[in-house]
Order: sequence, then structure tokens, then C-alpha cells
Amino acid sequence: MTRGFLAGLGVLLVALALYPAVATGYGLRVMLQLFMWIALAQSWNLISGLTGYVSFGHVAFFGMGAYTTGILIVKLGWVWGVAALAGGLTAAGLAFVIGWPCLRLKGPYFAISMLGLNEALRVLASYFEGLTGGGYGLSLPTLDASGPIYYAMGGVAVAVTALVHLIVTSRFGLRLMTIREDEVAAEAMGIATFRYKLYAFVLSAVGPGIVGGLSARDHGYIEPISVFPIVTTITMIVMVLVGGKGTIWGPVLGATLLFSFQELVWSHFISLHQLLFGAIMVAMVLAMPRGILGALRQRYGLPRTI
Amino acid sequence: MTPPARPPTATSAPILELSGVSKRFGGVAAVNGVSLALAPGRIYGLIGPNGSGKTTLFNCITGIERRDAGEIRFRGERIDGLAPHRICHRGMGRTFQTVRVFPEMTALENLLVVTTGDLARARARADELLRFVKLDRLVREYAGNLSFGHRKLVEFARVLMTDPELILLDEPAAGVTPTVLIELLEMVRSLRAEGRTVLLVEHDMKVVMGLCEMVFVLDHGEKLAEGPPGVVQSDERVIEAYLGR
Amino acid sequence: MNLVITPTMIGQVVISGLLAGSLYALVALGLGLIFGIMRVLNVAHGPILMLGAYTTYWLFSTVELDPYLSLLVSMPLMFVLGVLLQKLFVRHVVDAPGLSSLLLTFGVAIAIVNIAQLAFTSNLRSVESLTGSFALGPFAFSKARVVACGFAVGITAAAFLFLQKTRLGKAMRAVSQNREIAQVCGINVQRIHMLAFGIASALAAAGGSLVAVMVAIQPGMGQVYTVKSFVVIVLGGVGHYPGALVGGLLLGLVEQLSSLFLTTQVNEAVAYIVLVLVLLLRPTGLFPGRSQ
Repeated sequence: MTRGFLAGLGVLLVALALYPAVATGYGLRVMLQLFMWIALAQSWNLISGLTGYVSFGHVAFFGMGAYTTGILIVKLGWVWGVAALAGGLTAAGLAFVIGWPCLRLKGPYFAISMLGLNEALRVLASYFEGLTGGGYGLSLPTLDASGPIYYAMGGVAVAVTALVHLIVTSRFGLRLMTIREDEVAAEAMGIATFRYKLYAFVLSAVGPGIVGGLSARDHGYIEPISVFPIVTTITMIVMVLVGGKGTIWGPVLGATLLFSFQELVWSHFISLHQLLFGAIMVAMVLAMPRGILGALRQRYGLPRTI
Repeated sequence: MTPPARPPTATSAPILELSGVSKRFGGVAAVNGVSLALAPGRIYGLIGPNGSGKTTLFNCITGIERRDAGEIRFRGERIDGLAPHRICHRGMGRTFQTVRVFPEMTALENLLVVTTGDLARARARADELLRFVKLDRLVREYAGNLSFGHRKLVEFARVLMTDPELILLDEPAAGVTPTVLIELLEMVRSLRAEGRTVLLVEHDMKVVMGLCEMVFVLDHGEKLAEGPPGVVQSDERVIEAYLGR
Repeated sequence: MNLVITPTMIGQVVISGLLAGSLYALVALGLGLIFGIMRVLNVAHGPILMLGAYTTYWLFSTVELDPYLSLLVSMPLMFVLGVLLQKLFVRHVVDAPGLSSLLLTFGVAIAIVNIAQLAFTSNLRSVESLTGSFALGPFAFSKARVVACGFAVGITAAAFLFLQKTRLGKAMRAVSQNREIAQVCGINVQRIHMLAFGIASALAAAGGSLVAVMVAIQPGMGQVYTVKSFVVIVLGGVGHYPGALVGGLLLGLVEQLSSLFLTTQVNEAVAYIVLVLVLLLRPTGLFPGRSQ
């Protein structure tokens, strides 16, 4: 990474840190959501972009974090920050439990198991009414905490991106990529692919878990359909596909681009929104499977650290 | 990981021993009751017509396919049933007939990824090996962009990175230019000189005759013959198998 | 929740399970056909089923066409859609590296669901046609389910006969076993792929038309059928078409049996738990053998 890039990044981070001092309530909420999408997209990138195991149910970890946080706050009176971290932990635990059987499988099996996981969790959240409030949802005590949640969300986005950077520039990251490139050859060359997939999967659940908890705190109300929507998974995937899967900055770029478009343009055509996502997904796979940064890297021979 | 001292002579206990190894796919026996033993520090050939089970046998030995029956011992210990990466860690490496490098990684990364422990030392070893296979100019090139012959060399160097006692080569001569072939053969001989054992599947009989000290012949999944290449070549059953009787 | 379980209740759930299972088998056969032949998991399979259900609803509400007669419309219609999807999109990713085909069909699935949303709104629709039940001894059968089961068995049997007996069917199985060899033998693989996608989509449409009479129709109804069909394939063993039958019936039974103890609300979770358990205990499916 060049010095100029690092300096630019530093300035951007400082500006974002100072932003709440001048921001309107609306502006703060918009940025907070952008951070959320960066954290989610980057987490999906960690498992699916690096290892090639496509998770169609990553929102399950978001929902798991949201419910954990909500229940800890409502039933046990935990502080929201700690409760959100606990949400990250339970999401990681869920990833371990689900990953243990499902990651033994090759790609398509894993993808569909993840789709099913999300459906199953949503149903279970409605079923265990005593704990989750069932279909009535769970209301959190009111709290005006957009500022702190802004920093927390931003912190998660930065942390997950830094984690991906750390992974991609390490041998651990290379091992994850061999799974995507040729899993059989990786096994034959002594790489314990199952273990590495599991590590990546568990790591990829932490961010969505925390972000789910923060988002629950921010909205003050959760119900099964609001925290397990498949559209959240779709959005994560499209963001990564557009930016470039398997790159470090692709998910950040994709999240920023799509979220901006969404706020500026598509919010006026809410019904076309998802249709457009489906179309973008198809178009990206057919026309630019590496995404923007991946295509640039391929064409100009850029290093892996973009 | 430092490899244990290699046995000094070829007369010591076998490094690899198969007894009655079988593998079926549905109703077809791809490998049927194959027994063989490799003494350390020699070059062995595995030949046979197409579909005679050579690659399946390789897959069983390296753990990629699970054998249905029989025992496989490597350096005296059972390895059948172990995951491929565990077998690799015990000192066995292989290449693939179809050449399976990691395409979206550079030649250097292809080598580094299979190492553990000190990165600087791994890096030095990788540089050394890439020089050994004469690819030092292409270190930073993505493996997927390399020519077939160069990919083959990357794969070959990658096997050596794991410092294997026993190396299984699946058709090393196929599809490479004559110059690369000469280099490859030279490298295989130098592996033997280092005391490593090599088992190779090969169709090019000139390569087999010039390189191997012992040859096993497979036909329809069964071991048909074994012996020095000259003897095997004139064995009537072998000729018959090749002519397709 | 009723805690006393009588033999009659068990008999009843076994019958309901088999009735539901026959439909699962029908739909899963389609998904398995595409997966077996081109190693593409069509995530849009369930949404295509949903379009089949809407076709039936639409014909019923506009021209009052009998839901079972509407099979004659929905199946050919979805056959054409399937062929087009293959020709326009899926063809390009059949051998693409990584999971392009999964992402692509996922994108197609999202698009189909949302087009349906725009066209039909997300209001719940229903086809009030065959209601009530037969009584046979202590058991009661919903008429709609019995008839649906009959059609499902018939259509599945026809599909099997097609695969086993006709030249085209044999060519399809040849392609699923070894594409290169099939190609060398003069089989037009592209055409077989389109045909397979068409037939699979017609089977999904049949499933959609048959469930239209029993469940609420809405754009998002299809996704769970993709997952359930996949569970069925895994249960039966990939690439082993008769396995879809056994897998379908098994899933139906397990779901119904679990409803003795839990509310039917958790049906979807049951299918999922079955999937995870099978993957954990028997990763090659319950009936391996011919699966690759």
C-alpha cells in the first residue's frame, strides 16, 4: 500500500470520527447504515469471497445477534455495548455448530443449507414466544444513542475490513484461497481445508452478530421478519459482487456505491429495488464475475492488497 | 519441520506397502486387490493401459479416495482412512495428471501456501526451488497465466516444498516440451540422489525405461506384472494388455 | 398441543406424510434432474413453482378453469420459461469456475419473485376449488391432497418412464453420467441441457399448480420448496433419480410426524434439521451406491 493511500485513509477516518459533531440526525443515520452494510458485506466476503463457499443465509447471524442483544437487554438489563458483543459471540457459536456439519459439504450443498438455516431460525424465533416475544416482537427500552451506535458501527466496519486485510496478506488467507481455487489439490498438499473453512466461517459470523445487535438497539424493536429478511443477504452478496469478491476494498466500494444509489435513487422506486438487485447479480456473474476491483486487478496486474 | 534421517540403503524396510487394496465405483472394480512394496530411495514406474486404475490407485494412496479394502502402510504405519492433508504431513507428496495449481495465486504464493513455520525460511526455500525449476523470472506471475509446461513445473516445485519422502508423479512427461522434459527428468533423478522415493505414472515408455528401476503394470485394476523395465516390457501378458486383447 | 397420541393419530400422520411427500418427490425430481445433468443447483426452482401456482390462480379467477386442467397450461408455459432461462443465462455458467451458477440462479430467483410481486402484489391468493375431505374409517383425507397426490404420482411416473424408456431420456441420463462421452457419441449436449431445464421447470410448475388449491399463494412461497427439494435430493442421494421418490416420502413423513409434537408452524425448521442431521451422519445420503 502506498503512503499516499494510507494518508488518505487516515484523513477519511478522522473526518468520519468528527462527523457526528456537525451531522444532522438524518445524516448520522445514513452513515451508520453505510457502516452496517460495509461490515456485513465484508463479512460475507470473508467466507464466500475468500473460500468460495457461498453463504445464502448470512443474515441468520445478523438475526442471531439481534435477538441475543435484544433478549440480554430486555430480560437481563445488560448494557447495549456488551450485549451487542455477546451477540457477536452467539453468532460465532451458531456458525460453529452449523459449520461443523455443513462445511464438510461441497459448495452447492453448503449454499442451500445456509438458505435453510435462515428460514429455520426465523420460524424458531416465532415459535419460542416466551423468549423472543414471537410474532409480536421484542421492544427495547427507549434510548437515544445514535452517536455511540455510530461509533460502534463504524468500529465494526473498520475492524472487519482490517481483519480481512490481515487475512489476505497472510499465509492463513492464502490457505483459505486454495479452498476456492482447488480444494482437492489443497488437501493433497497438506492443507486442512475443513478446519480453515470453519475458522473463516466462524470469523465471518462475528461482524454480522455484533452489527445485528447494534441495529436492534438502534431500531428499538425486533421481530422475526425484520431481523431475518433474505433481502439483507441478497444486498450483502450484490455489494460484494459489484465491488469485487476476494478483494479487500471491493466490499467497501460495493457497499458505498450500492448504498448511495439506494438512498439517492432507488428509495423512490422501492418496488423495483429487489428486482434490480436480482438483475445486477445476474449481470455481474455473466459480464464481470470478478467485480470492479477484481477486473481492475486482473487488467492492470494490481497486487492482492487492493 | 525437519525430516527424519533418510534410510541409507535401498535394502531397508519398504517406505510404502500396499496389501490387497481395492476400490470400487458402483459395480466396477477400479482397483482390485493390488499389493506392492516400494523400497526407499528408488524410482518406480506404474504403467498400464488407459482406465487400468493407475490414477485411482494414486488417489487411494494419497487419501483422496477411500480404499474399500486392503491396507496401506507408509513408513511402517497404516495411512488408509487418513485425511489427505494428514498423509501429506507424514511425508508424501503428489502431482496431478491434470496439473492442479492454484490459478489466482502467483507462482511464489503457490509454493508458500503449503508451508508452515518460519515464513522467511519458507520464502528462501521457495526461491531456491523456483530457481531449481528455472521459473525464477515468473515468481510474481499468476499461476493461471502460465503455460501448461510452466504450471507443471510450479506444481512440481510445490510438491518439493513439503519436503516429501515419497513423491507420486501422475504423468510428469505428458504435454511438456522436449526441453522442459529433459529438465524434469534431470530433477527426478536428483530427487533420487537426495534419497527420496519416486513413484510415477507414465505413458511415455521411453521415460519409464530411462528412469525407473522397477515397474508395476496394472490392467483392469489388477497388478499384472512387476520387475525391471526391460523384463516387464517383454512380458507377454503385458504386451497383450497393451494391445487390448 | 395434544399430549395423548393414539394409533389413529399416527395412522393419520403417516397418510398425510405420504400425501405431502409425493408432491415433494415430484418437485425434487426436477431439481435433481438439473443438478444431476449439469451440476447446477437451480435456486430459481421454487420461484418457478410459484409461477406455476399463479398460472393456476390466474386461470381459475379469470376463466374459471379447473385447477387440474390448468396443469395443461402451467407445465408447457414453465417448460418454455425453463428452456429460455437455460438458453439465455445458465448456459454461460454451466462449467464456470467457483459458484457462478449458484449466484446466477439466485439472482434469477430474486428477479422472478420480485416480478411476481410487481405483477400480482403480495396479497395472499387462494383457489377455492376442491374442499372438504373423504372419511375412511377413523381417517380423514383432504380431497385436494388426495387428488394432488394422484397427479403427482402420475406425473412422476411419466417422467421416470421418459428417462428410462425413450431415446431422449436415455440421452439425458448419458449426459448426466459422462458428458464428454455423450458428446462423442453424437448427443447434442446443449439441446439436452435445455430440455432438462424445461422438463425440470414443468415439474416444478406441476407442483405449483397442485399446491395452489391447498395453500396461500404469494410471491415468496417458492423459496421453501427450493430448500425442501434440496433436502429430498440429499436424502435420496445426488444423481440417483429414484432416490428422489424415497427422499420425498421420507421428508413428508418426518414433517407430519413432528407435527404430532410441535406446531405445524415449525415445519420448515424440521426440514432443515433433517438436512443437517443427514449431512452430519450420512453425508453421502441415505442411499449412496450410484451417487458420484
